[in-house]
Amino acid sequence: MKRNIILLLILLLFFPAAVLAEESYTFDAAEIEKKPYHLGGYAELRPVLNVLDKDAALYKLQYYQDPRSTLMEWNGRFQLEGSYEKGIGSVFVKTNTDLRYSTFANGSERTAIFDGYGSLKPSPSWKFEVGKKTLKWGKGYAWNPVNFIDRPKDPYDPDLPIEGYIMATMDYIRSFDGPLKTFSFTPVIVPVYDHINDDFGVNNRINAAGKVYLLLYDTDLDFIFAADGSRTTRMGMDFSRNITTSFEIHGELAYIKDYQQPFLDNAGALQSRTQNVVSGLIGIRHLTTFDLTTILEYYHNGMGYSADDMKNYYSYIRQGYNRYQNTGNDQMLNVAQNLATGGYGRLSPMEDYLQLRLSQKEPFDILYFTPAVTVMFNLDDRSYNITPEFLYTGITNLELRLRAGFIRGSRDTEFGEKANDYRFEFRAGYYF
Amino acid sequence: MLKTIIFLMTFLMAFPAYAVDGKKLLEQVDRNLNPESYETYRKLINIEPDGKKKEFTMFSVKKGQDKIAALFLAPASDKGRSTLRLGENMWLNIPNIGKPIRITSLQSVVGGVFNNADIMNLDYSAEYDVEGVSEAAGNYLLLLKARTKTVAYDRLKMWVDKGKNLPIKIECLTEASMLIKTLYFKDLKDFGGGIVRPAVIETDSPLYKGYKSVMIFAKIKKRSFKDEVFTLTYMPNLDSLR
Repeated sequence: MKRNIILLLILLLFFPAAVLAEESYTFDAAEIEKKPYHLGGYAELRPVLNVLDKDAALYKLQYYQDPRSTLMEWNGRFQLEGSYEKGIGSVFVKTNTDLRYSTFANGSERTAIFDGYGSLKPSPSWKFEVGKKTLKWGKGYAWNPVNFIDRPKDPYDPDLPIEGYIMATMDYIRSFDGPLKTFSFTPVIVPVYDHINDDFGVNNRINAAGKVYLLLYDTDLDFIFAADGSRTTRMGMDFSRNITTSFEIHGELAYIKDYQQPFLDNAGALQSRTQNVVSGLIGIRHLTTFDLTTILEYYHNGMGYSADDMKNYYSYIRQGYNRYQNTGNDQMLNVAQNLATGGYGRLSPMEDYLQLRLSQKEPFDILYFTPAVTVMFNLDDRSYNITPEFLYTGITNLELRLRAGFIRGSRDTEFGEKANDYRFEFRAGYYF
Repeated sequence: MLKTIIFLMTFLMAFPAYAVDGKKLLEQVDRNLNPESYETYRKLINIEPDGKKKEFTMFSVKKGQDKIAALFLAPASDKGRSTLRLGENMWLNIPNIGKPIRITSLQSVVGGVFNNADIMNLDYSAEYDVEGVSEAAGNYLLLLKARTKTVAYDRLKMWVDKGKNLPIKIECLTEASMLIKTLYFKDLKDFGGGIVRPAVIETDSPLYKGYKSVMIFAKIKKRSFKDEVFTLTYMPNLDSLR
């Protein structure tokens, strides 16, 4: 008896897995019971340390009244979502609250409904939705030039949720046997009036857009249009296809008619040009046998500024900064700040970019741990941003991410003129 | 003389195995595991060497030979994610990201030892040809070879319970016969509607030493679906099928 107990203790000590193997697993029916309602949410804390570049143009623009060498930001995010379903109808609401505190900007809070819509699904072939939502058109990872309706996503954090627009949509789906397996059509109506989507474009318009999706010869194909309205006419297409099981290729092409772009000429005078522009993206996603995922994308932004345009802008900021230093007059800097919101301050303001992202899933057998590095390269001025990160999702519903940013470039280049040289960020997010 | 006796004994022992039609046996195994079109609720548990667990609950629907879709119900961090497989095409839809992205059979949307091909498995007879069938310790041993290069495992060794025509163990191998993982089928359960099959699939892998993943089936029900359910556009609506 004593011998058996000793043997059992040795087994428990040295072979816990063997003991676990005999464990009986439970699956309670309550876990799969469907309730008509759902409540959930997400809470996030995200401290960020910025190490600033005091010679950079955007530093001078942002901090001319309050110079500093570092900036610590405390960011918080709180999202609540709920849904209710009855028969063929359902409603879904998701709110988002962003909190920010820094010694520079003090505290701020913004709450918005990101999604809030009602759905009717009379059959698997038909769906009707009205309310605030996002469409997320396009196949690109970092950029989506054919996403004509949504707010632009952050190419440095493309998975972040974005606020939707109020619209009415419909989905019609048909399946077939043969090379064309799926056809679907999604028409969209986006009204723009006072207090309704008033940041979308020109007011008092009803905008029509749509997407046709085909799964043809194992290739995803989308044909997209947005008619002239609050924004000028846009047309585009995208595709995605697996060349092999572990090698995917995708692309987007967009044509924007009569795009109007404000710009500063080399004399510092504000001008505007109207032209038809083409934007495009081509990318690959590859997975090795040892779970290294590579995403490589080239993006041409037809609505972007040339290297000369950006030089003029940075030169204008420097002139404004010198004037402020000499006279205390910050009018030029105010104009430059307005231009930043008008286009120069976009997340990808220039014409040609290359993004490379390498992520290694669970190296050294560390489950749920994913280190990654992302390189954003501006092909027009050869400046770049390198972002290494570590992601751990091993604790149920908790996501931990540590990230750094190394922002490099000479004077008059996009990343060389960014306000910060380095950025360190920790994000702890909890889903409930 | 002794050599002749040994040869004859070996031949006689092996003979009943050659009488079995491997293709029909594999099709029978498929039908005994699942109806051709069905819905199911499953739980996936990843167990780390220190005993730490992570669980995922899923609702899945399948139609015919090449259509399967799955929706994550828990944990909260994964709720609403859905996967779709149409033959060799696989997609993942994450609600926040919104648009479905193409994924591969060798990736794993849940981490751990199960990969996407294990989670969204089609009928074995749809993906594999039978290369050989023999008897091993009172069970059938099926040697299977992938029909195309796109199938997750090049070769399978499947031990089948002779009386029940259900798998007991499957070894997943590379083309060079290197072991990738082993699936163990356990806990025979009557799910109703004539479906009697193992309720638990455990897996371990020499590539993940000390780790184990478990798939538990709570409910399997024969059900028919329209083809439109298995489309990219329908992916965000899978919950309405529950």
